[in-house]
Amino acid sequence: MICRKTDSKTFLLFLFAILLVSGPGRAAVAATRQTAAKAGERKAGSRSTTAKASASKTNKALATEQAGPPNKTMGSRSAPITIEVFSDYQCPACRVFYQETLRPLMDDYVATGKVLLIHRDFPLPIHQYSRQAARLVNAAAKIGKFEKAEQALYARQDSWEKDGNLSGALAAVLTPAELAHVTQVAESGKMDTFIESDVSLGNSKQVHQTPSLFLTHAGQTDALPPGGVSYSLLKRYLDQLLAQ
Amino acid sequence: MLRRYIPIGGQALKVSHVLLVLGRMLLGAVFLYAAYSKLRQPSYILFAMAIHSYQLAPEWAELGLARALPWLELALGLALLSGIFLRYTAATASVLLAIFFGVMTRSYLAGQQINCGCFGIGEALSPRTLARDGALLAVSFAVTVGAFLVERQHGNSSTAISQARSAHTALE
Repeated sequence: MICRKTDSKTFLLFLFAILLVSGPGRAAVAATRQTAAKAGERKAGSRSTTAKASASKTNKALATEQAGPPNKTMGSRSAPITIEVFSDYQCPACRVFYQETLRPLMDDYVATGKVLLIHRDFPLPIHQYSRQAARLVNAAAKIGKFEKAEQALYARQDSWEKDGNLSGALAAVLTPAELAHVTQVAESGKMDTFIESDVSLGNSKQVHQTPSLFLTHAGQTDALPPGGVSYSLLKRYLDQLLAQ
Repeated sequence: MLRRYIPIGGQALKVSHVLLVLGRMLLGAVFLYAAYSKLRQPSYILFAMAIHSYQLAPEWAELGLARALPWLELALGLALLSGIFLRYTAATASVLLAIFFGVMTRSYLAGQQINCGCFGIGEALSPRTLARDGALLAVSFAVTVGAFLVERQHGNSSTAISQARSAHTALE
């Protein structure tokens, strides 16, 4: 027969041993401090978003319109890590994720060739203007203005989600000629094929909400928790993968 | 050990003891699967991300929890399956499931469209996940009560036997 007092003491010792084995939070505290310090540095050096293009540059951009699907990737194709992001331009969580996680990620990992970032359109039917926004960004991507168009739409999401004035938001980063061209391409319906292709891909990957992320490293693809992840946790995970 | 939890007695008693064993087996299997689904992920940070989406704790606590919880679930699962320390493991499982249920209900009512995080990543928080956790909580609570009742019953029987032995010795 097992003695009750021995039972409870042994059980508590058992729990204590588990906590010792797992070693919660010890290294975590130090690393959180490091992340906070780096975040401060990052804010100080954040990139500017000026969109002044000369007429010659505009003509060059329009002349070099890409054939085939629009390029919505950022970073080096030889990067060791690939992150696919399924998002909706009218989704508030996507905006927060873009501004608080993706922008620092672009600065720290995409620009340095460590991560290849792939944007996938996943316009949700509940959002009135998200499909049109996706068409415009795809059209902008065809002339190499994907990053600027995406940034402009997220930055002014509060405004255009009320009145649907997407062109107004894009006018800040595109020249009048570029804007006219992008609008024309978007309205032609040619971009719908590419959007549907992304949506189909998302459906095949069981995407149900935005933003949804998939990370590929060393040939293995893992889904990250949908709805957005914090930059500090993502950074910690990327550093762990890169150190392998 | 087995006799302790499945004693021979009345029909109703036997049924309740069989249900107790089945209940702890079910809970043990669920906790083992929950631990396995988290430990098989490439990094504990992925589970920390799932915890983060609940927006309940600072990051250091999320990371600590992400490291400790799968091992605690593994230990609970093994203990429940083997039946050792049943009163304490069942009570701990009940407390853990009650916390999970409370946190999930709070997030669901707040309209958070997040991942449950129950069995790794990929399952959205929904009425189905809430119902499942609620059912497990009910089973766990029943197993806890059952384990304490069995222990009390066993204690009473032992006392009665020792009293009878004392009386017999005194008579001699």
